[in-house]
Amino acid sequence: MASIHLDNVVKRYGAFVGVKEMNLQIADEEFLVLLGPSGCGKTTTMRMIAGLEEPSEGDIRIASEVVNGLDARDRDVAMVFQGYALYPNMSIYENIRFPLRMRGVPKNQQDALIRRAADMVELGDFLDRKPAALSGGQRQRAALARAVVRQPQVFLMDEPLSNLDAKLRASMRVQIKHLQRKLRITTVYVTHDQIEAMTLADRIVVMSRGEIQQVGTPDEIYSDPANTFVAGFIGSPPMNLIEGQVHSGRFIAPGIDIAAPGHMHGNVTLGFRPEDCGIAPDGQAGLTGTVYGIEPTGDSTFLTILAGDKQVEVKAPRDFRAPLDSCASIALDPARLYFFDSATGQRMRSTQ
Amino acid sequence: MRALFPYLLVAPAVTYLLSITLYPGIYAIYQSFFLVRFNEWIPVGTDNYVELFADTEFWGALLNTLIIGGIALAVECLLALVLAYFAYRDPFIRGWRIVFLMPMLFMPSAVAFLWKLAFNDGRVISDLLMRLGLISQNIDFLGSVPLARLTLIVADVWQWTPFLFIIFVAALQGQDQEIEEAARLDGARWPQIFWNISLPMMRPVIAVAVILRGIDITTMFTNVYIMTNGTPGGTTETISYFIYRQGFRTFNFGYASAAAVIMLIITVVSAQLIVKRAFRSGRA
Ligand SMILES: Nc1ncnc2c1ncn2[C@@H]1O[C@H](COP(=O)(O)OP(=O)(O)OP(=O)(O)O)[C@@H](O)[C@H]1O
Ligand SMILES: [Mg+2]
Repeated sequence: MASIHLDNVVKRYGAFVGVKEMNLQIADEEFLVLLGPSGCGKTTTMRMIAGLEEPSEGDIRIASEVVNGLDARDRDVAMVFQGYALYPNMSIYENIRFPLRMRGVPKNQQDALIRRAADMVELGDFLDRKPAALSGGQRQRAALARAVVRQPQVFLMDEPLSNLDAKLRASMRVQIKHLQRKLRITTVYVTHDQIEAMTLADRIVVMSRGEIQQVGTPDEIYSDPANTFVAGFIGSPPMNLIEGQVHSGRFIAPGIDIAAPGHMHGNVTLGFRPEDCGIAPDGQAGLTGTVYGIEPTGDSTFLTILAGDKQVEVKAPRDFRAPLDSCASIALDPARLYFFDSATGQRMRSTQ
Repeated sequence: MRALFPYLLVAPAVTYLLSITLYPGIYAIYQSFFLVRFNEWIPVGTDNYVELFADTEFWGALLNTLIIGGIALAVECLLALVLAYFAYRDPFIRGWRIVFLMPMLFMPSAVAFLWKLAFNDGRVISDLLMRLGLISQNIDFLGSVPLARLTLIVADVWQWTPFLFIIFVAALQGQDQEIEEAARLDGARWPQIFWNISLPMMRPVIAVAVILRGIDITTMFTNVYIMTNGTPGGTTETISYFIYRQGFRTFNFGYASAAAVIMLIITVVSAQLIVKRAFRSGRA
């Protein structure tokens, strides 16, 4: 019903390019997450879809209708703003009611809808308050309730959970996903939080400096990163990236000497995830170094190894302990190694 | 010495303020209980006030002030609000807003003479309307009560709308743009946004502007003095003009002081009411 297409969309602010040549197809009922560091153009992309910002170039289509120039009001989109944007002069109840009132929802249906939305975000007891009398997290939930109180064609959510504590965030995450599935509304969701991205998304769009780096399911993004940026951005801790050289089928860097796919040579960056390697029995090590730090996290222990001058993160069993500066040998899973071109950062696929 | 220094710094300002407001104020209150005949002050108790309450000219002047000032203030606010709402995003207006203050910078008496020329002596406006074919003969603006009042209203609106405009533009520019954008996404059209969002958020600013302008307008004098002299039949005589007439035409200083004191009380009380109302539900 409401797919979203961005065709060669560019947004310029004077000479500065906020969003570069963006092509993106969002399917109907899809939950799409925009993920990327601060300032990479996530909010700008959303604002263009919402109609609050006109693209400098390119077309945006919602439900296969070109919406360039169509007023935000007529796009039937609901948005949670990064800065909440609650109406300060209205109570929370009135805030949530505003979209219903403006869209002409019959009066006798309004109350039930408002209470359902408020209960979903656990704000039922605060409906009489003005936004100024709420905490940051409560305001954020009020903004969320205002967006989900009606059934738009598209939900746009700009970091709607960033100000909540871990527990509430986890429960809201489940609620948002449940609601989206139930209402079957196409959703674009911005976050910095990888866990949020991984758990919510049908597909994730990783962005950097206004450019899409990779689009894919959470699984693809995690296990098949397209370049060093994606590899280094996803996962906590993220993928280890080690620059080295490939000569006659071997990747060589300080502390590492392992087999590399035959077609490569020259400057290559090796990537492997902390969870894809382990402490090696002596003599089988792919990587050797000294123990730099140990961080027990409860269910596992993260080990920082110094190989040459490069720090490498390794996930070890939770009872693993080793003295600092002792030698450590790490076994790398050959099936889970990633090679990137050091010059371009692009992935070098071994299948080719 | 160190402890005294701050007091020393504010002393000139305080002295100045006290000498031009508090001293004359107390003097006026004191004087309002006397019948003043040149050098001779005869205590009359509250006679001045009693007489004032029975004086139809006084009540007339109060009513005139209310009508002329009220309409002018309402028109100024409305005009300034609408203009500000449509103009505040315009970069040109942001850059050149100081230009809009020009009418306020002109000398009030000069402006009054200009309007006097336009409406009455020079008949510029009649002439323009005639050339446009809207009327067939000169309008005598001082010949009818509504028209005479209209000339004062027009003059005041011309001179003071920009002042309110600037204040409202600043208030709107200070508002969080995202809030208006949220309202647009929620389906509100501009009149709904203006009415439901922007206007309530501007309430305190509007209140302050209305008070400032209101106080100024209740003391409207220059235009009356130069343009109408209270004609026709005292229907454009404002309170200030009434006080001036009692004091400096008939030298009835005690009586004029009593009128001024009553005016002061009315002004303070109404300002207080507006402030209370406007800021009551601003927060919490
Ligand atoms: N009105 C504007 N004028 C000029 N530059 C802008 C404007 N709005 C955004 N930008 C720039 O565009 C880039 C993208 O901004 P955007 O708000 O989309 O970032 P973001 O990905 O949402 O970041 P964050 O995660 O911090 O919210 C930023 O570098 C920002 O400085
Ligand atoms: Mg943002």
